[in-house]
Amino acid sequence: MIKRFDPIEGRNAEIIEEVMQTQEVAKLDEDLQFKIRLCVEEVEENILCYSGSTWIEVSVIMDGNVLVIGFKDGGIEFDPLAKEDPDIEAPVEKRQIGGLGIFICKQMMDSLEYKYEKGCNIFTMRKEIN
Amino acid sequence: MEISINKQGDKTIVTLNGRLDTTNAAQFQNDITPLMEDANPDIEMDCTNMEYTSSQGLRMFLMLQKSVSSKGGKLVMVNMRPAVREVFDITGFSKIIKIE
Repeated sequence: MIKRFDPIEGRNAEIIEEVMQTQEVAKLDEDLQFKIRLCVEEVEENILCYSGSTWIEVSVIMDGNVLVIGFKDGGIEFDPLAKEDPDIEAPVEKRQIGGLGIFICKQMMDSLEYKYEKGCNIFTMRKEIN
Repeated sequence: MEISINKQGDKTIVTLNGRLDTTNAAQFQNDITPLMEDANPDIEMDCTNMEYTSSQGLRMFLMLQKSVSSKGGKLVMVNMRPAVREVFDITGFSKIIKIE
């Protein structure tokens, strides 16, 4: 599935459901679907908050036994992977509110990749499916 | 996400139902704001039917825990589903919020 959403404002739930309903994702077990939903939401929220793009292109494919979910947008160059991980050992009074989204993706996916190409942010996440 | 808040003596029971995500986190924040105004909070969150939380939901739980801790109060989350518990574990939230 490759689908472009333009405009994207207010459509985050719709974009997530489009991914969840693809044949690649719909057949996965409940636990994997939970993880995919969460990571898609986190990446999408990041794009909506920081990139300023009016459009987003989302792709879902299987590459062998690896599920590959791609996000492309035309916003300002922003590498979410460059951000420092939150300190998850910090006591409650020092824990920062925020900065958890991409960290969750790092834990739940097998790999995350970011590149800026031809004026577009391209973010790809991969998860091996057994 | 549906939320119900009931007082049982000095304790406040919060029942969460459904998915907590970017579409309803702002509403959830409004719903739990009164809990942060309690002078001596003793809160139990029943998570039996909480199906999902994104980082937006975690932000709200952290805000609530910070408020409760600053007043020397209590917050406990009970009956959390394993998939939701995993989100709390990998983010270190299960070390700062009591889960039973």
